[in-house]
Amino acid sequence: MTAKYAPPMVSVERQPRWRRLKNPLISLVSFGALLLIWEGATGLGLIEPLFLPAPSQIAQRAIQMAEQGTLLGHIVASTWRVTVGFLIASLVAIPLGIILGFSQTSRAIFDPILSFLRPLPSMSWIPLSLLWFGIGESQKYSIVFMGAFAPSLLYVIEATKSVDPLLVKAAQNLGARPRDVMIEVILPGSLPQILSGLKVMLGIAWTCVISAELVAAREGLGFMIMNGKEYFQTDTVVLGMVLISVTVMATDLVFRFFERRILPWKA
Amino acid sequence: MRATMSRRQILASALISVLATAPLGATLAAEVETSKVSYGGSSWLGHYPVWIGIKKGFFEKRGLSVDWKLFGTSSARMGALAAGDIDFAGTGSISALALMAAGSKAFYVVAAPESYATVEGIIATPEIKTVKDLKGKKLGVTFASSSHVLVLDVLEQAGLNPNKDVTLINLPAGDTPSAFKAKQVDAVATWTPAFNVLRAQENARVLLDDREFSLYKQYQFGPGPDVLTVSRTFADKNPKATAAFLDAFFEASEFITKEPAEAASLLQDLTQLPPEEQANVLKDIEWTGRAEQQKIMAREGDFPKGLQALADFLVRHKQIDKAPKVDSWIKTQVLP
Repeated sequence: MTAKYAPPMVSVERQPRWRRLKNPLISLVSFGALLLIWEGATGLGLIEPLFLPAPSQIAQRAIQMAEQGTLLGHIVASTWRVTVGFLIASLVAIPLGIILGFSQTSRAIFDPILSFLRPLPSMSWIPLSLLWFGIGESQKYSIVFMGAFAPSLLYVIEATKSVDPLLVKAAQNLGARPRDVMIEVILPGSLPQILSGLKVMLGIAWTCVISAELVAAREGLGFMIMNGKEYFQTDTVVLGMVLISVTVMATDLVFRFFERRILPWKA
Repeated sequence: MRATMSRRQILASALISVLATAPLGATLAAEVETSKVSYGGSSWLGHYPVWIGIKKGFFEKRGLSVDWKLFGTSSARMGALAAGDIDFAGTGSISALALMAAGSKAFYVVAAPESYATVEGIIATPEIKTVKDLKGKKLGVTFASSSHVLVLDVLEQAGLNPNKDVTLINLPAGDTPSAFKAKQVDAVATWTPAFNVLRAQENARVLLDDREFSLYKQYQFGPGPDVLTVSRTFADKNPKATAAFLDAFFEASEFITKEPAEAASLLQDLTQLPPEEQANVLKDIEWTGRAEQQKIMAREGDFPKGLQALADFLVRHKQIDKAPKVDSWIKTQVLP
């Protein structure tokens, strides 16, 4: 067989090692340059540390807090609150969203409630959550739950509605009951989109935990940021922000791991 | 001799008094470098003189138009001062010390307006009779506030560890009464008006007030006394306007002392407290007049010493990283 008739091999051809490393290297260099410029600008006094501390100062604060043993406590407290609040929101939103996506009557019943809940920011729930749940951990979970639930539900409804109606029809023609259609057809068909939506919601759940930790908290990354703000410790504030980003990236990786397990064909 | 004046005589004497006082007002107004001044305040008692000064026209007669800007917390107010958004700010000294510790040279401390040892403290359920009884209990307090400092101090005095022996819960001062009433906490450390509200409750007792603070015993210095601060740029550029502002401020605090009933009525718009309760709050405040300011704010005076001791206390309790040399921020030269 001549090269003229050979099938295209582009997709399976391995790129040279240097080319595979090119983009990560560019990212690394640009990030390093940003840190250097930032450090230089604060070192030369162009930026007052009160307004933006140098990266080295933030690193020192991280070391100090790690040595005091408080840093890990803040990370664990927030991660736990996000995990619990987000899991409860997902566990309620997925089945309910599938039902609402599948049944127009149910959607008509729940639509007004959902339209009311959807625009409410998690922070607006703080006064009521304090009255309903007190000042313990359940109040913090509830804030994360309320911030994550309505958008998650909408993602699931949309994902359910996007399942090919021909597949649903085919299953129904073959005698499948509504419950079977939901579990055997709609759930697998909408799962990739549901998981993509939940991945976005996980990030949003992290913004909710900051609101949750504004009141009656003594640890957590949100608390750390707010307490740092009260004492003008801008390095603590920026460190808290960095840790939220890093933790979100880490939880995203964990989420991707489970996504690959649940949807092996997507991987 | 007729005891009453004719209408013509009254008009003439009124005209004479207007003519006599007008040049003084005009001179004061003409002297200041700028007529626009912004002040960061809240409904807390430390800001009463500025509110009264605006309402009674004490600033206006000195050629100053004061723009009142409301801030919920001292840190927000001091942040605005550091950013150059306001010219004057009243604040609890903890925020001022924290900003000094962060290295900001953006402001001067120019006065210590008042003291209030009996309107802040710890309120607990009746079975808690001593500070030691707080062991294993939940105590609600606004972190990074003077009440927080009071709690850390009295726990230390009683040999209790604030991180292990007592569960401290961060609560905004306004939420302390509802949390206490709902039995979500066993005690709260708070200040007026929440303190006054709780003090009147049946199942609540005042465990202690600011007089138990260690520095109060030594310097008559509360856990976070108020200070009046001014933007360094503003004061350096406008020394006469700064002096005029302070002059009006002290006139207002003297007015509050002399005319508490009228002051309480003027303050209602600001604090929303019923007149009786407002009058009670005023009774608990000791205003420091202009004559005493030079004395207490002087280098060797009690106030800078107490402020320095408070800074050292905050470092010891890991609230700030290093104790600033507070003398460098105190400026008494601008006092009238």
